[in-house]
Amino acid sequence: MGKSKHHIHRPLSRREMLGICKTGFGSLAFLSLFGSMPKSKTEEFKRLMQHVPHHMPKVKSVVFLYMDGGVSQVDSFDPKPRLDKENGEDPNKKFKVDDTQFGNVGKILKSPWKFKQYGECGMPVSELFPHIGSCVDDIALVRSMVSDFPEHTNANYFLHTGSGIQGRPSMGAWVTYGLGSENQNLPGYVVLNGGLVPPGGLDNFNSGFLPASFQASVLKAGKVPLPNIKPFEETQELQDQKLAFINQMDNSLLGSLGHADAIESAISNYELAYRMQSSIPELTEFSSETKETQKLYGMMSDDPYTRSYGAQCLLARRLVERGVRFIELTCPSVKGDRWDQHSELKDGHERNAHAVDQPIAGLIKDLKRRGLLNETLIVWMGEFGRTPFAQGTDGRDHNPSAFSMWMAGGGIKGGTIYGKTDDYGYRVIENKTTIHDIHATMLHLLGIDHERLTFHFGGRDVRLTDVHGHLIKDILT
Amino acid sequence: MKVARIKVICLSLLLFMGALMLNQCTESGQPSMPETVDFNFHIRPILVKNCYLCHGPDPSSRQGNLRLDTFEGATSAGESGLTAIVPGRPKKSEVIRRIMNHNPDDVMPPPESKLTLTEREKKLLEKWIEDGAEWKPHWAFIPPKEPDVPEVSNVEEINNEVDAFVLKKLEENGLEPLDKAGKNTLIRRLSYILTGLPPSVEDVEKFITDSSPDAYEKLVDHYLSSPQFGEHWARHWMDVARYAETKGHEFDYQITGAWRYRDYLIRALNDDVPYDQLVREQLAGDLLAKPRWNKETGINESILGTAFFTLSEGTHSPVDIRKDEADRIDNMIDVTTKTFQALTVSCSRCHDHKFDPIPTADYYSMYGVMESSRFAPRLANLTFQQVEDIQSLQKTQEHIRKKLAKRWIGKEVDNENDTSSPEQPTHGQSSEDYKILGDFRGSSLDDWKSDGFAFGNNSTLGEPVLSRDGNKVMRLAEGKASSLRFGEGVPGALRSSNFIIDHDFIGIRARGKKSTIRVIIDNFQLIQHPIYGDLMQEVKKETWHHYKIDVSKWKGHKAYVEILPGTYKKHEYSLPEGAYIEAEYALVFNGGWKSIPEPKGSSELNLNNAVRDWVANKGSADQIRLINQKLKQGALSIGIPEIRELYKQRDVVKKNFDGAAYFMGVADGFGINSPIFVRGSHQNISENLMPRAFLSALPAEDTIFQSSGSGREELAEAIVSEKNPLTSRVIVNRIWHHLFGRGIVETVDNFGLQGKIPTHPELLDYLAIKFRKDGWSVKNMIKYIVMSQSFQRVVEGNEELQKNDPQNLWLAHFPVRRIQAESIRDAILAVSGNLDSTMYGESVPIHLTDFMTGRGRPAQSGPLDGNGRRSIYVEVRRNFLSPMMLAFDRPIPFSTFGKRNVTNVPAQSLFLMNDPFIIHQAELMGQEVIKQDLSMEDRVQWIYMKTLSRAATEEEIAGAKDFLIQQAGTYQISEEEMLHDPKVWKDYCHAVFNLKEFIYLI
Repeated sequence: MGKSKHHIHRPLSRREMLGICKTGFGSLAFLSLFGSMPKSKTEEFKRLMQHVPHHMPKVKSVVFLYMDGGVSQVDSFDPKPRLDKENGEDPNKKFKVDDTQFGNVGKILKSPWKFKQYGECGMPVSELFPHIGSCVDDIALVRSMVSDFPEHTNANYFLHTGSGIQGRPSMGAWVTYGLGSENQNLPGYVVLNGGLVPPGGLDNFNSGFLPASFQASVLKAGKVPLPNIKPFEETQELQDQKLAFINQMDNSLLGSLGHADAIESAISNYELAYRMQSSIPELTEFSSETKETQKLYGMMSDDPYTRSYGAQCLLARRLVERGVRFIELTCPSVKGDRWDQHSELKDGHERNAHAVDQPIAGLIKDLKRRGLLNETLIVWMGEFGRTPFAQGTDGRDHNPSAFSMWMAGGGIKGGTIYGKTDDYGYRVIENKTTIHDIHATMLHLLGIDHERLTFHFGGRDVRLTDVHGHLIKDILT
Repeated sequence: MKVARIKVICLSLLLFMGALMLNQCTESGQPSMPETVDFNFHIRPILVKNCYLCHGPDPSSRQGNLRLDTFEGATSAGESGLTAIVPGRPKKSEVIRRIMNHNPDDVMPPPESKLTLTEREKKLLEKWIEDGAEWKPHWAFIPPKEPDVPEVSNVEEINNEVDAFVLKKLEENGLEPLDKAGKNTLIRRLSYILTGLPPSVEDVEKFITDSSPDAYEKLVDHYLSSPQFGEHWARHWMDVARYAETKGHEFDYQITGAWRYRDYLIRALNDDVPYDQLVREQLAGDLLAKPRWNKETGINESILGTAFFTLSEGTHSPVDIRKDEADRIDNMIDVTTKTFQALTVSCSRCHDHKFDPIPTADYYSMYGVMESSRFAPRLANLTFQQVEDIQSLQKTQEHIRKKLAKRWIGKEVDNENDTSSPEQPTHGQSSEDYKILGDFRGSSLDDWKSDGFAFGNNSTLGEPVLSRDGNKVMRLAEGKASSLRFGEGVPGALRSSNFIIDHDFIGIRARGKKSTIRVIIDNFQLIQHPIYGDLMQEVKKETWHHYKIDVSKWKGHKAYVEILPGTYKKHEYSLPEGAYIEAEYALVFNGGWKSIPEPKGSSELNLNNAVRDWVANKGSADQIRLINQKLKQGALSIGIPEIRELYKQRDVVKKNFDGAAYFMGVADGFGINSPIFVRGSHQNISENLMPRAFLSALPAEDTIFQSSGSGREELAEAIVSEKNPLTSRVIVNRIWHHLFGRGIVETVDNFGLQGKIPTHPELLDYLAIKFRKDGWSVKNMIKYIVMSQSFQRVVEGNEELQKNDPQNLWLAHFPVRRIQAESIRDAILAVSGNLDSTMYGESVPIHLTDFMTGRGRPAQSGPLDGNGRRSIYVEVRRNFLSPMMLAFDRPIPFSTFGKRNVTNVPAQSLFLMNDPFIIHQAELMGQEVIKQDLSMEDRVQWIYMKTLSRAATEEEIAGAKDFLIQQAGTYQISEEEMLHDPKVWKDYCHAVFNLKEFIYLI
């Protein structure tokens, strides 16, 4: 950034401050967020910003580890010895089997993996996740998740936006809308695309009816992590000169107009874009990270998918350090499929687990030793679980009636197990927990009351949690 | 301590906020108390914001049994014996006591609501009660009344009534209008707002030098009549219609022919089709007795409008299909009511509307209308000629029958006095094991709906079968439903009425080629494995076959059967050469296949009766057999010259449909009245059915729809009815919004109680009435408004205006507006000389960047520059939306967006700085520049005229030169070489694309 002398690093003018005041723009945090609010929304925003944060936040950032396709609960965090006993028997004789996505109901299928108790709390975790197992004392496990939808796209939209329908604002957009970003050079909501965009597409990460300012920036591995982030000019000097010229012309226009807030904001927008040209590539530059750190994240693994997911997790930590509010990681495209094992459960789940286990544990441990874990919330979950009986002979179908998820980090009571499923892990029998509850709890930890974070659209004050959602108090400190 | 630090930040944030608030109050002060307090403009907004959640129209959330949304509710004594509002007696009014209270247990609104009334609001309420608490219906539900045009002092500032109304408001607010803008500004404003493109250099020069008094009007007419007008304004409508060409979700399936709706809009706007007609077409274009035939191409335009319903998202495997239907219908209700009525009816899905007088019953009255409509592939290019040719073919068929009949029984057959009764249909006949859905072996189609032409109006029973040489009747055909009623290649479908599945199987005895049988359950169309795959069967056996569909999983669900020639591939319909389908009967059954006896006729079996019934198309199978016997015996003459004519006509008809194209539109089903879904759940339904009807709060001719079909026509008529207080206001407000950047009612999609109240209510009514009187002409309305002086003012504000009207509500000047996403791209193509002005047609595939991944990704990316076509022609794929359009605030297509956000995000700057499209266009323009045999100064002028439609100032030329020389220096190019070097000029053009003046109207 040495050559940015032509640039407009001016503080807010008095008039700008007044303008902000008059049109009701809220907070400093918001100013650092990208861009301005349409004027029609300022009233609402003003109302909102009077109260946000609604209470003392426990965490500043969320890292959402999205397990695309649906991890099997009975093979990961919810051991069911009864499946071993009744392996191969007809599930219809044991319980009422719901309609499934593929309708190809097989026999009861025991888990191919053994479980082991970990940590001081003794939480059982299957062989799939030995590294995550070593972190259980920091983890609160919820075994009683349910979803409204048994198919991927509705369930993905539901998980991401609180509605099973396409086009609604994603949770990351809501968080950024509520809190802004703490970093002036980076977006507030970042998705690290590990290779698989979930079914339902990029709309899982959009801002819906919220202003475009809140949509995710989807970063991908490689030299150009974000679209248009690389200047095309041969040298920085050429671009600097050009931007200086543009700035000079724009400012003289502004002078002739008297008042034009829109133009002023558009001009300062270039400043931010310019800074992003270096702040974004700098993010993905890992040379300052020690070998030991990279190893911790699995970046020295023989498994290329472990390496790439490790890099994602390390990048997530760097984003947390830089004050980015909401970071979601999508899964690497491991050979076969994501977690959606309609067949060949053993092979598929093993490959996927191997890719993410060490990197996730690395992220928890690294954040912890840097003192960042207590101001970060890590959320690990998929859109639904899987059936305890086979699809065909060796797969499992979707199961929205029971699945496991866990959280770790600030405000989370580590070593807790919450909720209970039946003997087969098929249905929840205690402390049923909805996606809305997860959203409510997540917002709560960020200092937001989910009932008060609203946006007026289509005649209603709409919430991420719609008219639902309860805090999961038992997993909170 | 990190947490402590966060706390400090929060605290200082709150303090800062507090300071802002304070500042705001002292800066602008409170508006003074009005002379008369108006319920609609002063009181209702206070009540809506602070009271209605607990004391509004929805009984489910009402507290203390008190409602403040009706006069009766507010003024009668409550449970406690107290009265909320006593007109004329504020001190006796409990409302006043509560709002003035400081006791947290007593004060209203209660502290937990976090709502507080300002002092002014309290005073307004007090004064209003003192003045007698006059109650009025919500302004938008009162029909517009022609207001008096106000008299104002500055007559020279008036071009038409628009100015009078605007000036009046300015006067009232103590503001002076600013000057008229210069000609360069005006032509740029008009060109972008009317056509979405920059003005051509020739047009600018012509306008600047035209000193005639009507130069501006000529310009307005020029743009309104240019084809680009429709291209720009169609896009506005596509925002409200949530236009997309795919269905999103997992595989992003194509919506067949969606782009034809876009072309339909462009043509309609360019032809200035009256708005009421457009309303009718989009809601019921398939049902109009007199469709609109395109004057040039002859095609039926009206039916294309119905794509309005089918542009919604859709998933292929909802496990709960009824819930999925409810969601799809909810979207249709949402979009329909927001678009045409600016009402948020879908808020009433689970409970009565919290603010507007829209009970849940209204929602389910409209639900029935949507539920009775069927998505279907419809012919996109049906011409009047095709219809006529089919009709004459039909006439020839009848003529042949009559002529033969005359010979066979020796006298004229008079259809009118026919006394025989038709065969007894077996329809509905049932035993425990089966029930007949339709039997086509008699003469009728057994009350199935025949859409399009393929199946005609009756079965094939008695249709003469002709000899190969085509001049003899060999025999009369047996009865069946046949898509060959008028020969091969004629499109159409046959659909059963709705039934509730109560057997394990659906069976159809059919034969055919390249054709389809589908079972549509709960109106679900995206039939696909893994769950629904078997509900669609391809018919490819040309011998009679029993098609059997297992529906045991869906017992209790509503369904209908669809039979049609042609196939669906990945949900795209086509009618290939040679496709046909014929069916004898359809049934539901348990266990093995059930053979159904033929329907029996009731008349006495003799030749005369048989022939008479046959001519009237009422013959029974027995009668036809009798005639056939006689034919076989040679007892009847069979040669008839008209048969040749029939052959010729068939060829014509077949040829007519050679280029047939399809789009996903709507076909009418059978009227269904829906129960209320209690709290929105389809698993908890009311006993009573809601008759299909229009919104009860709006006056209409007939509230309950009488149609045996969906009732969409009646819905359309209720919307365009003269009694409807919303329709014309909503559309003129949309027009105003697109012209001024903000509607008279700012919330263009919500005229309900939570919407904004109009800034110029009299003007809105004046325009609404004028619009109707002028025959609903959109172009006339646009012209009328842009001819006003209010539209022609400068944008430059001043300190005083900034202070007194920072939002420019009173229009003392024109607002600074960013041009919309599509125009930015189109303008770059236009000025770089690469705009391909070809209109219409299939969309250009979307360009896919490396960032656009996921399921349903097209195998091939579209061209980076969209082939130079205008943005409206670039494909809109729900799962692969254009990043540039998204960044510049084109709405995500899921609901009605009459008003785009205008945000400011770095993705916009990054796009203009670094996107390969921009760079490429700058390069092309740079190459164009060096071809101009002009000096450096003149080149800069040339570029200014093209991009900014004005001459550069000396200062700007000097600045440009400095920049050009500076870049050349960095490239190590000499000043002489510079004139011929495209790099330097590319840099300069690129810089100009990045000027704010280029993407803002100023």
